[in-house]
Amino acid sequence: MLVPIFTLKLNHKINPRMVAVGTFDGVHPCLTAATQAGKVFIHNPHVRGQRAAAHRLSHSSQDSDVCLLNINQSVTCLTAGQLGPSTVGDTLVVGSQTNLLAYDVHDNADVFYKEVADGANAVVLGTLGDIPAPLAIIGGNCALQGFDYEGNDHLWTVTGDNVRSLVLCDFTGDGKNELLVGSEDFDIRVFKEDELVSEMTENETITSLCHMHGSRFGYALANGTVGVYDRSSRYWRIKSKNHAMSIHAFDLNADGVVELITGWSNGKIDARSDRTGEVIFKDNLLSSVAGVVEGDYRLDGQQQLICTSVDGEVRGYLPASKDLRGNLMDSTAEQDLIRDLSQRKRSLLMELRNYEDNSKCVSDSDGMGFIPANTQLQTALAVRPATLVQKAHVELSISTPNETIIRAVLIFAEGIFEGESHVVHPSAQNLSGCVKVPIIPPKDIPVDLHIKAFVGGKSSTQFHVFEITRQLPRFSMYDFTAEATAAPPSGWVTFSINDRPQRVVMWLNQNFLLPEGVDSTEVTFSSLRGRGLLSISMASSGQVTLRTDDIDLAGDLVQSLASFLAVDDLSAEADFPGYFEELRTTLVEVDEFHSVHQKLNAAMADHSNHIRNLLVQAEDARLMDDIRSMKKRYRELYHLNRDLINEYKIRSNNHNALLACLKAVNQAIQRAGRLRGTFQLGSEPRRSNSAEAQLLVTPQWESRVPCFTFNLWVGTAAVTNPNPN
Amino acid sequence: MEIHLNRVDYIQVGVTSQKTMRLLPSSGKKATQKVAIADNDGVLSCFGMKKGEAVYLFKTLPGRKISRLDLGGAVGTPQEKIFVCCGSMVRGFTKKGKPFLAFEANLTESINAMHVSGADLFVCASYIYNHYCDCKDQDYFLSGDKINDITCVSSENLTRVVPVLACQDRVLRVLQVYQIYQSFFSFEIAGPPLYLNMSHFSTGEEIVYGTTDGKVGLVQIGEQSATAKWEIDNVKKKGGILCIDTYDIIGDGVNDVLVGRDNGTVEVYGFDSSGEPTLRFEHVLSESVTSIQGGCVGKDTYDEVLTVTYTGWVTGLTTEPQKAEVGPGNEIKMSKETQSKLETLRAELEQLQVRVLQGREQYQQTSQSSSALSGVPIFSINDKFTLCQDDASYSLTLEVQTAIDNLLLQSDVPIDLLDVDKNSAVVSFSECDSEQPNGNFLLATYRCQANTTRLELKVRSIEGQYGTLQAYVTPRLQPKTCQVRRYQIKPLSLHQRTHSIDQDRPMNRLSLVGQFSFAEIHSWVVFCLPEVPEKTPAGETITFCFCNTFLGTQLEATYCKGEGHFKSDNISTISILSDVLSKEATKKKINLNISYDINDDSVNHTLKMIHPKLEYQLLLARKVQLIDALKELQVHEGNADFLIPEYRNILDESANLLEEYKKQPAHLERLYGAFLTVILGLH
Repeated sequence: MLVPIFTLKLNHKINPRMVAVGTFDGVHPCLTAATQAGKVFIHNPHVRGQRAAAHRLSHSSQDSDVCLLNINQSVTCLTAGQLGPSTVGDTLVVGSQTNLLAYDVHDNADVFYKEVADGANAVVLGTLGDIPAPLAIIGGNCALQGFDYEGNDHLWTVTGDNVRSLVLCDFTGDGKNELLVGSEDFDIRVFKEDELVSEMTENETITSLCHMHGSRFGYALANGTVGVYDRSSRYWRIKSKNHAMSIHAFDLNADGVVELITGWSNGKIDARSDRTGEVIFKDNLLSSVAGVVEGDYRLDGQQQLICTSVDGEVRGYLPASKDLRGNLMDSTAEQDLIRDLSQRKRSLLMELRNYEDNSKCVSDSDGMGFIPANTQLQTALAVRPATLVQKAHVELSISTPNETIIRAVLIFAEGIFEGESHVVHPSAQNLSGCVKVPIIPPKDIPVDLHIKAFVGGKSSTQFHVFEITRQLPRFSMYDFTAEATAAPPSGWVTFSINDRPQRVVMWLNQNFLLPEGVDSTEVTFSSLRGRGLLSISMASSGQVTLRTDDIDLAGDLVQSLASFLAVDDLSAEADFPGYFEELRTTLVEVDEFHSVHQKLNAAMADHSNHIRNLLVQAEDARLMDDIRSMKKRYRELYHLNRDLINEYKIRSNNHNALLACLKAVNQAIQRAGRLRGTFQLGSEPRRSNSAEAQLLVTPQWESRVPCFTFNLWVGTAAVTNPNPN
Repeated sequence: MEIHLNRVDYIQVGVTSQKTMRLLPSSGKKATQKVAIADNDGVLSCFGMKKGEAVYLFKTLPGRKISRLDLGGAVGTPQEKIFVCCGSMVRGFTKKGKPFLAFEANLTESINAMHVSGADLFVCASYIYNHYCDCKDQDYFLSGDKINDITCVSSENLTRVVPVLACQDRVLRVLQVYQIYQSFFSFEIAGPPLYLNMSHFSTGEEIVYGTTDGKVGLVQIGEQSATAKWEIDNVKKKGGILCIDTYDIIGDGVNDVLVGRDNGTVEVYGFDSSGEPTLRFEHVLSESVTSIQGGCVGKDTYDEVLTVTYTGWVTGLTTEPQKAEVGPGNEIKMSKETQSKLETLRAELEQLQVRVLQGREQYQQTSQSSSALSGVPIFSINDKFTLCQDDASYSLTLEVQTAIDNLLLQSDVPIDLLDVDKNSAVVSFSECDSEQPNGNFLLATYRCQANTTRLELKVRSIEGQYGTLQAYVTPRLQPKTCQVRRYQIKPLSLHQRTHSIDQDRPMNRLSLVGQFSFAEIHSWVVFCLPEVPEKTPAGETITFCFCNTFLGTQLEATYCKGEGHFKSDNISTISILSDVLSKEATKKKINLNISYDINDDSVNHTLKMIHPKLEYQLLLARKVQLIDALKELQVHEGNADFLIPEYRNILDESANLLEEYKKQPAHLERLYGAFLTVILGLH
């Protein structure tokens, strides 16, 4: 059994997911983590008391091994690694909601200090694509930015929602790293430099990503799911009731292949095989895990797995020695094996007994819940528009063909219910052979519904469980309308495809809940979410036109159709006057917020000058024993302080509004990109939309001019087709 | 002195009940003992270990569920005759497996406890105790509450064998026979006893008992009274006691207490020099431990603790040291025995799989026919729904013999589901429509991880809100079936039986007069309050005492035909009672004359009882709030010397405070709720 080779108790709290190991002097690895009160501590047990406190750095008075670094802002992400070309050791990169600091711990100097308007929720260090210098890539409010060691901006692109996790990994297998981005809209996106090459949809916020080996990477979701992807296909995943705080790839059993190490919110650490997800090792920390990292902490040439908890507990594990033969759990593996086999034998025996007794068919005891052997469950899906009592929904009806009743229905599905399941349990008076379940999927995603229905008699205590899996089509929340009465939507996308109309009909049937016998390519739907009409038409020339005011929906439709028809490259023309009008007002708002921001900043500078004066005056008065004027000054100071707090509140509100607007703008760029349906794996590189956006938007909202340039660009992009390829 | 015991699995039998495994006395000195074990399939088997293999001496054919097993024999000879009870039958077998007795006790209910001593046979059904000597009826006794277990005390000091009953109403009843008439004295204990055993300490007059809330104690039975010797509290909430044995496993010449609990914990308590029991060893099995005994089974000269779990695993915890079997060439050598064992198991599995496939096909075929019926035999669920005194919440444990796939919990009353750390299942709450027609207040699913056979949940109820909690258990077994278990949430769900109440408190009274029978009012009381026997008690009038586990208030119920009196110092208890009772009476169309006697002091008194608790919780909440800020200050300033002693104190005790705070989630909110109901009850 594997036991920790060292345990430490650092008297500092550790913020979750903000732990790194860096060799800042090029030799000694130091555990670095963000702690409370905007500080970062560096634990360096190897070099004791050699450095004098200066600049940001100060020694902790509690523990001589720990140095504290004052950031003075709440830290949101942290990493350490090689950034500069000529530096000896690693550079520490610390991100906060507004700034990014690259810091040389060894020389005790800032490498660069950048203001980042979109914040930094996640940071990763490394090389990306063809960019030669290593970059510190941060992900913030829908935006990604990469800085080299001089603080130059080498990368700017947008993604669908707030970024929560980043990792660099050779996804395409071309020898160059791609950037994997996990965001709050449940998507993992893969960027080849600033071009989106692939997208995987999960069902919760992606909180962590880690590179395993080759094109394989691990991920963790906010709902307690952990799993492994190989490129865009999922290998395995497991779900726990606890949350995965940190994941890391480490070869713990020394078999040459890394395992996925997960640190959980209940303090558990487990190592799972990258192929099967089978647990090969587990241990428990006393409190929630904060981060899992690796480093040669004992300076003996071997990498150790280092697990840290939020309370400052640190445990290090060495990879298993050869004679353990991968058997890390316990010495009683054979007993467990026997136990396992016996359990299987037991359940097989019970199953057999079930069949035997079933064929005997003793029909007297009532509790057993006898049902006719030929009972089969029927399920049907239908779209139901809103009525007075019920919101618009997709109705799943489950019924039995005979007099048996359905006691309860459990539906396990991901991403459409609050939890992972939905239960319908009619009261004893309302039992019948038919149950109708309203389903309102919040997003347009295809969902597998795993239905379990308990079927039996009215007074049974035991029921038969019928298990059925139904797929809810992707665009199920759109009701087919035979003839549209309302005005057609003003927004549209059009593109041409070289495929038979039958294929499009097939796509329609697979992705929409169509009434029977609809096989035309001219269809109109009304959105059950109240977003107006959607019409799809295909001309004989292969020209497909989608009319909707919902730019997101249009994007989803284009992507879905393109992937169904296996079209790699699709050029589309689009116009969404309503949406662009909204965007225009947003941009104006951004500008307004900016000018308010600047005004407030100026006011604050004024105030701080004033405070300085008052303080000096007050202290002077105190030294001269003039208590009255001292009191007066302090009173003034108090009022000023109150004003400042008020102003701060205004400022923070303003800032939040600004952030919301910026997010909207970032998403607009992303949406415009989706419309063009780019699926480009391995084909010739092409100027992507985000690259254009970068050109126009880089001077970020600093003056009126670039905003409007961008605005115009979106307009032209929509009307003409700027994609000559 | 610590001991180290290693786990060895022997065999697996069917699902077992409590007290169904005994070791036969060894024939020679320190020779290995044989194990007699009976299961719910009705199979009695006896096996011994030979070179690491279990060898059966005999095995009977399946029959009715065997609920108890005991050993007996003529006085002075080795106690090696095996007695089992199934239904209302008692059967006897010799150690070779030859049946020599089949005795029909002629009880209407099935026997659930049995003791054999010489020619005397003592059996108990739910409420009835019967004594037979040489299969002739001697005497009987009707108990006031359910009998959980029986044992007998015999020694030179006592003139004859004295039976002791463990009853559900927290009483050990000691029976004595004067001619035919029986009198008894009783001994009150803190929790409902579930297990009794003659102890083997000094004399035979002592009895060890275990309770459903996890306490173990020793009482000495005298001629006229009983005295408590010691009691081990269940501080760590490890689960109820299912079995106890006394055996000197440590080897210090004093018998140790071996305890098996329903959460799978096996414990060994030794005695220190002052005679106090102390925990020496603990091991956690994954299922509840139904029987335990110390002895020597696996190997000569090595003592061990033999346990049987609910699903029938016979496991030894042996003093035999485990061999490190790492051979040359970096390979773990599996012992030959285990290897052959594995091979046979695998072969059996393959055969079974073939048969199961055939079964499946046949099953598929029957589903084509229109006349056939399909019914799956009922699988057994071991469930328990008990009120925990410490945190005033109910704990629900469910145990199935195979892995559980999922569990659906449905309730038609508002209840809170609390998280249990040990529970690894993924819980998901479903939206529910609390209004009619479906009236669900809680719909939650538990999706279990592989190999979960036992689930533990905590449920918090609100007094005054009553209804049913239903659990639908679906095991991972083909063809898939699910079974429903129902649990009543009573109107005064947080009350617990006690033996007496403090009469000095200011009391509110509620009196009912009307045309109802004794049985009717008893059924209403059963409906309102937990832990009341369902059987209408004997006699004209009856008094039950209760205390509220959450607030510590009391309730006394005294009633007879046509009349009922309830008094409590908590006004909300009285108002809930009057509400429910009048509703119940209206259902039966019985006119009730309800009169109240409200004591104004009682409100003050109850509020005063809540006050210190509320204050303490508020203070705790405040302190916990401060901890983070103080810690930050400490880090910032480098030390905590500048803080005032109060704050320094908080910092020093922060770990304890946090732990306490975590232990009682929403305690403060509940107290607020209780406070409000008292105030509302006034109006």
